[in-house]
Amino acid sequence: MTINYVLLVSRQGKTRLAKWFTTMSPKEKTKIIKDVTQLVLARRTKMCNFLEYKDTKVIYRRYASLYFITGVGTQDNELLTLEIIHRYVEVLDRYFGNVCELDLIFNFQRAYFILDELLIAGEMQESSKVTVLQAIHDQDATEVDEANEEKNK
Amino acid sequence: MSMRGLTVFIADIRNCRVRELEEKRINKEMANIRTKFKEGSLSGYDKKKYVCKLLYMYILGWDIDFGHMEAVGLISSTKYSEKQIGYLGITLLMHENSDLVRLVVNSIRKDLEDNNEIHNCLALHAIANIGGREMAESLAGDVHRLLVSPNSKSFVKKKAALTMLRLFRKHPDVIPAPDWAERITNIIDDYDLGVCLSVTSLVTALAQQYPESFMMAIPKAIMRLHKVIVERDFSADYVYYKIPIPWLQVKLLRLLQYFPPTEDPNMAEMLHNVLQTIINNSLETPRNVQHNNAQNAILFEAINLAIHLDCESDIVRQATTILARFILSKETNVRYLGLETMAHLAAVTDELDEIKKHEETIILSLRDKDISVRRRGLDLLYSMCDVSNAKTIVSELIRYLHIADYALREEMVLKIAIMTEKYATEHSWYVDVILQLISSAGDHVGEEVWYRVVQIVTNHENLQEYSAKMVLHYMRSPHCHENMLKVGGYILGEYGHLIANLPGCSPIEQFNTLHARFGLCSLATRALLLSTYIKFVNLFPEIKGAILAVFNQYRHVLDAELQQRACEYMAIATMPTDDLLQTVCEEMPQFPERESALLSRLNEKTGQTEDKRTWNIGGKDSNEKTPANLLAAKERNENGSVDDLVAGVSNASLGTTAGGEGEDGSAASAANGGASSTPAASSAASASSKPAGLSWKDQLAPGSEKWYNRLRDGSDGVLYEDSILQIGIKSEYHGHLGRLAMYFGNKTHTQLGSFTVTVDSPEGLVVASSHTLATSIGPSTQIQQLYSLECQQIVTEVPMIRISYHAGSTQSIYLRLPVTLTRFIEPIQLSSADFFARWKQIGGPPREVQEVIKVAPDRIDLEKARSILVNNRLGICENVDPKPGNFVATGVFNTSMSGKVGCLLRLEPNKETDMYRLTVRTTSDVVSKHLKEILQTALLYNPNHTR
Repeated sequence: MTINYVLLVSRQGKTRLAKWFTTMSPKEKTKIIKDVTQLVLARRTKMCNFLEYKDTKVIYRRYASLYFITGVGTQDNELLTLEIIHRYVEVLDRYFGNVCELDLIFNFQRAYFILDELLIAGEMQESSKVTVLQAIHDQDATEVDEANEEKNK
Repeated sequence: MSMRGLTVFIADIRNCRVRELEEKRINKEMANIRTKFKEGSLSGYDKKKYVCKLLYMYILGWDIDFGHMEAVGLISSTKYSEKQIGYLGITLLMHENSDLVRLVVNSIRKDLEDNNEIHNCLALHAIANIGGREMAESLAGDVHRLLVSPNSKSFVKKKAALTMLRLFRKHPDVIPAPDWAERITNIIDDYDLGVCLSVTSLVTALAQQYPESFMMAIPKAIMRLHKVIVERDFSADYVYYKIPIPWLQVKLLRLLQYFPPTEDPNMAEMLHNVLQTIINNSLETPRNVQHNNAQNAILFEAINLAIHLDCESDIVRQATTILARFILSKETNVRYLGLETMAHLAAVTDELDEIKKHEETIILSLRDKDISVRRRGLDLLYSMCDVSNAKTIVSELIRYLHIADYALREEMVLKIAIMTEKYATEHSWYVDVILQLISSAGDHVGEEVWYRVVQIVTNHENLQEYSAKMVLHYMRSPHCHENMLKVGGYILGEYGHLIANLPGCSPIEQFNTLHARFGLCSLATRALLLSTYIKFVNLFPEIKGAILAVFNQYRHVLDAELQQRACEYMAIATMPTDDLLQTVCEEMPQFPERESALLSRLNEKTGQTEDKRTWNIGGKDSNEKTPANLLAAKERNENGSVDDLVAGVSNASLGTTAGGEGEDGSAASAANGGASSTPAASSAASASSKPAGLSWKDQLAPGSEKWYNRLRDGSDGVLYEDSILQIGIKSEYHGHLGRLAMYFGNKTHTQLGSFTVTVDSPEGLVVASSHTLATSIGPSTQIQQLYSLECQQIVTEVPMIRISYHAGSTQSIYLRLPVTLTRFIEPIQLSSADFFARWKQIGGPPREVQEVIKVAPDRIDLEKARSILVNNRLGICENVDPKPGNFVATGVFNTSMSGKVGCLLRLEPNKETDMYRLTVRTTSDVVSKHLKEILQTALLYNPNHTR
């Protein structure tokens, strides 16, 4: 059940986040981003959330102005991949408090860190929202401590 | 912590309304950063800020060709926030084969060894993201340590498991998976569901490569599923919209699809409960989209597993009803998955009737608004096609072909061609369909398709005339596709003479039809047609003139291939005699039968460590090579050979019990049985629980012989004891059946986790657990495990057990169970006359075995000898032997499949010489020999001298 990549793409086709779980050359990456973005943006609302691209399946869902797109193998469980996306959105939402595209633009590194807590090597590593948020808050707390130490010096 | 500089920069970029402005701003910033980096002596904060800016530009799609070194520098910072950005930088910017990888390996190792777990995590993320060979080779050991170490925190373990998965996928040779199998598999029992989820992913990947080493994952997966789904034992954090950890459920259900069905009846029962519960739960109306998706995701995976286990089971029947509802659903996702799962069922089952009821709905799905759904409909139609419905399905597909998406057409053509070939009952239908296909969708007809037609027509004489007629007809239509011309050229060249007497098919008319389009086609087709023409010269000398004109004209054409053909053909045709012409143009021989190129084109290859498909689209025959089936076939082979040698009964019966189709099981095992010469110590019933390649005897727990010998007389007592665990047994026997209870006592004050007992029973003895054992033993607690024993054939070995548990680290104990052949003897008493009558009847060797046993001085003990006989369940017949002190004992050894064996023996002690003479006669030489050995060992055994 491997996710090959996660893309966040705006309705205008701008990439907001791209995370690759398999090794690919920069050229291949660019091609996939271009092709998949085009395919997904062309889909209408009532259509299903899955489509085929070459030998892979693309599973996507739109949240407001952002498309969350994943590429998976043909044998993967489609619905659960969809719910991985949703869990990611939920965690982002809780972390930023009503998340919007701008949050993800200005804090792109956070978006990556949060994704790292959910997925490693394209596999779900943690599905509990509480546990993921705890991990992120621990990271933040470490940073705050470091900053305070700096000030006290 | 936000970085002001970064925020300002991002805002600037956002304000650039046109791309040129953005580019200008980016270039300015890059120049600025380059200077700053060149100047050096930047603070950690500044370095971090600039790297972040570069990353943002990278995400926007700009090429970043510097800054890598600064990112590497940040990794070795002592500050977490800087380290974190450094790692993000290298994971985004660095390629796995980059030279810089060498620079970071050491920093990563340092972070892996750090006592601070959040540093461990950053390092693991980086390995999982980059995962080059060098990293795998130097760091796999550290990752493994973090995974199995009892000191690792759950959140580190999870990451370590998936990091290892990534390394395994990229470099399978670096991970010694079989050696690590046991410790890794045990983590499936981990209390933390997140850890369990990650490890299940890892095990799923490893088990596909090394199924035999990971057999023990089967019971673990089933028990975990049972716990979560039936016992509803899970932490509330992991409930996702009312569904407990759906990802784990799906993973475990998938994992089981890579193994053949379990043969342990208890496990099978548990799994049945799990699947039934899932089906029942699916009847609940979901609250919202998320709940619905999670519920259906599990349901679909459960149905896939049920189909894998037994596609004719009751569960599958229930599932079919549900699927029928799904393919009518208003929700597109559900329709899509319903069709996909139904295609899985259709691909493996013999029972297509249930599915055929929905043929109309499925055909309608070809007209769905969504191409994704249409594709699934096509797959399903292809899978459910058989002789009875091929005509309907094929004609529907051809009709649909005209309006189908371009992206879909080639696949459709291929599939139609395969179905037509596979299910054609009349040859003419085959020809009709393929020609129709070529004429209506010529562009999408791959080379394979028309090659195949030519092959088939050549190999079937009765098709030749008909196809020649039809192809000529099609070539006359105004829109004749070039592929049709190729087929036509070949067929008319070979079989044109068969129709030459029909109206409208005269030689010159055939030639004109072909040549009318000659000028319009590609060079390759023209070359082919030139060959047809030379064949015509041979078949129809009357049109030679017209043809020579063409050759003559093409002798001067620019293309070398055409020119050569024209010249050569011209030369052959104008020779004084026709001898050479006739030899060259002799009728084509039949093609050797080979696998259709069409099928091989369809079955695409999967990478070595990618998740394998658990089934293939298509009929039953395309599903015999799935991973689980291959494994089952392998087992069948092993069992077959054992069966062959020892009992000589038909292979087919055992092949079936091993859970596969009897037919190929027996065929394969017959081949195998002849070659193999040593009976493997496995039986049909125990094969699944036996890890292959382990020689358990070499690993017996030290000191366990002492306890084993004490229990050999069949009494109850301690089988093993050390400072942690005490194992006791109790047993009773009746005829060929027995019951054995084992008690496992935890002597420590901590819990023993991952507790597993595996029994390896010898050929002919079936040992089945009568309920499932707990996976852990609480502090100072005892648990009990019951086994039922059945002696099916003559057994010459005792069962072995392996106990493993986790207490700080994983411990394994190997023990022998004192279940000897004599346990299945029932004592009998015979009169003197009866005894001697039978004694004579059995006669001398080989069914008689005699041994003189010399014991230590003064160790002849009549009472001991008597109790040894009685304990080995032999009846002592008094007053049969005239000499007092001599023993005569009798019994009947029972088996359920190989009948009964009468056992008679005489034991003559001689106190003067310190010797026993033991004579055993039974109706089986194997039993005689073995019974003698058992008694001999017992007589020689001296409990005061522990060996």
